[in-house]
Amino acid sequence: MIDFIQMVISGIAVGSSYALMALGMVLIYKASEVPNFVQGEMALLPVFIAYMMIYSYGYSVFIAFFGALFFAMILGCFLEFAVVRRAKNPNILGLIIVTIGLEMILLGLVSWKFGADQRIMPFPISSYSSVMIGDLYISTMDLVTLFVALAIMIVLFLFFRFSKFGVAMKATQQNPTAARLMGIRTNRVKMVTWGISATVGTVSGLLLAPVIMEPYMMWNPMLKGFAGAVVGGMTSLPGAVFGAYIVGVVEHLFGGYVSMDFKAVVAFAVIVIVLCVKPSGLFARHYVKKV
Amino acid sequence: MKKTLFAVLFGALVVFGMLSTGYCEIGVTDTEIHIGQWSPQSGPAAAWGAVARGTDAYFKWINANGGIHGRKLVHHYFDDGYNPARTIAGVKQLQEQRGMFAWVGGVGTAPGLAVKEYLMQKKIPWIGPAAGSWHWVTPPQKYLFNVYPLYLGDAQLLVEHAAKKMGKKSIAVVYQEDDYGEQGLAGTKHMLEKYNMELAAAVPVAMGDSDMRPHAMRLSRSNADAVLLFISPVAASRIIGIGKAMNYAPQWMSSSTCGDCPLMIDITQGLYEGVITSSFGMLETGEKVGDLQHINDPKHKLVAEYKKDVYGKFAARDERWGYTFVVGIGLAEPLVEAIKRAGRDLTRERLVEELEKMENFRGVLGRITYGPLDPNNPLTRIGQQELFLHQCTADGGSRILTNWIETEYIPMGH
Repeated sequence: MIDFIQMVISGIAVGSSYALMALGMVLIYKASEVPNFVQGEMALLPVFIAYMMIYSYGYSVFIAFFGALFFAMILGCFLEFAVVRRAKNPNILGLIIVTIGLEMILLGLVSWKFGADQRIMPFPISSYSSVMIGDLYISTMDLVTLFVALAIMIVLFLFFRFSKFGVAMKATQQNPTAARLMGIRTNRVKMVTWGISATVGTVSGLLLAPVIMEPYMMWNPMLKGFAGAVVGGMTSLPGAVFGAYIVGVVEHLFGGYVSMDFKAVVAFAVIVIVLCVKPSGLFARHYVKKV
Repeated sequence: MKKTLFAVLFGALVVFGMLSTGYCEIGVTDTEIHIGQWSPQSGPAAAWGAVARGTDAYFKWINANGGIHGRKLVHHYFDDGYNPARTIAGVKQLQEQRGMFAWVGGVGTAPGLAVKEYLMQKKIPWIGPAAGSWHWVTPPQKYLFNVYPLYLGDAQLLVEHAAKKMGKKSIAVVYQEDDYGEQGLAGTKHMLEKYNMELAAAVPVAMGDSDMRPHAMRLSRSNADAVLLFISPVAASRIIGIGKAMNYAPQWMSSSTCGDCPLMIDITQGLYEGVITSSFGMLETGEKVGDLQHINDPKHKLVAEYKKDVYGKFAARDERWGYTFVVGIGLAEPLVEAIKRAGRDLTRERLVEELEKMENFRGVLGRITYGPLDPNNPLTRIGQQELFLHQCTADGGSRILTNWIETEYIPMGH
């Protein structure tokens, strides 16, 4: 029983970083209707910028982290404004190719500028200290990630529910034409959505970087976040979060009780099962194709 | 008359053309020797790209000192991203369009296996694959000369040290799900059988898996008091870190793949202190058990010289001086030595002859010995079988735990 509880705790811990990536992906999917495969690299570049601010320019960790989040916001807006918006007669396939292309460009840029050596980001708390409750443990870093993820979810909920811009974003996502007719500048809304998405992803990257930093560090969280978003429903923010936690917990239980060999790929088996049973995801109300 | 004149002129051109290059060995001209190499400069294994950059700087240093018998070494290395499909495409392109005399290094078992048959069928020498795979010597190939000690040897030394010297009663292994990890697992099992011990746990790690919590948990539940790691440096740092968070503290032991103490101390925030790793290079014969060494201040005379002259003058500005870079030099040393011994009349057959005569050659790695090809004897192509153990210290240095130890060749795949 102890093992089972430990696996669930560890699954929730790892699910938090997946959840942040999933949130970022769903935000963009709702705005631009594209699965955003540059999500990981939109976080990767700001994380390395933070590292550079600390080691090359001597800034403190907090200033560097805020700098990275600000940079992520600008980067997300820029990618939407300069690339995605410029796509002529975009269909989903074309936009997916655009995001994969951007992913390769940003990854190449980071690899070229910073090299492939592994490194770690300084952080106020140790990555390997932990809280023990009897035989159960949770690392302090996992706790921080969990609380930060919950805080971001609450902030996003409040933002969409009560802020004018948040309501405009929801309106744009639900019916862009009607939103435009109501005076909402939908292009600007989409651009800011990309910025917010990059910022949320960067939070996840900054919380992973104290353990290890390398150009491919965001690849796995991005894939698992995507898996979580698909499981929960690409159009549902709470669904994406819940899906990400499901992926984390299922991975751990599968690794613990069934097979460690296939632990890393079980998330994709979950996607297949969910898509067969409920194609729009567990939490999306229904799938409506816009015409 | 015109036809005769044309034939004579054509013949003369061919003859003079051949004379000007001396003879017709692919990849060798009067002034140059072309050597090929692949390595991941991008992708998840890009940290191993330093192997090719080490070789490159080494060749540049040789050229700056006059080359070999009046010829410069022209090094062609390309980025295969650790993707076997790209490896074979790149090797064929360089070989068939540019013409390589020989190949050196080449990171990874899977990329190497993708081109092994091609190189052997074309009778192109390949020296020092940068992976300790038994595939390079089983069966031995005339043109393939291994340098990197087999991972089976790492397992042998580590288990022996844990069980005999340290008196560990329960040994577990964490292995990467590929040829590297599976050899480590096989070597561990072989040695445990020898000592009548049970394997406490065998925990596989998938390539690219970044979540090591379940792995650490399974190790912790096994109660192993020594854990052998045949995984990547990133996976090792994660698993040791999570072990620390779980208050699980066995004696961690690792193959030479995670033997770069300065790097490992850095990325584990010091948790790598006390970890025992095998190593196949940079131990001066005169150094004693208990001595401290540090790659940034090497006692090994040749390593110190390479640091000053090869790395200092020919490495890129942001290149890190580390084990991987030095291994790139070490894997190329037997090739360079054989080219020197072959003299001015360099052919592939002469190169193979000289390599086969090589006995106890020592550069920055351990002693390297080959012999005339015997299809039933892998030792004729195994090169180096020596390893030693060291234990990482807090400052990124290491304490020497053993002298060079000749490992036993454990047959696999039979």
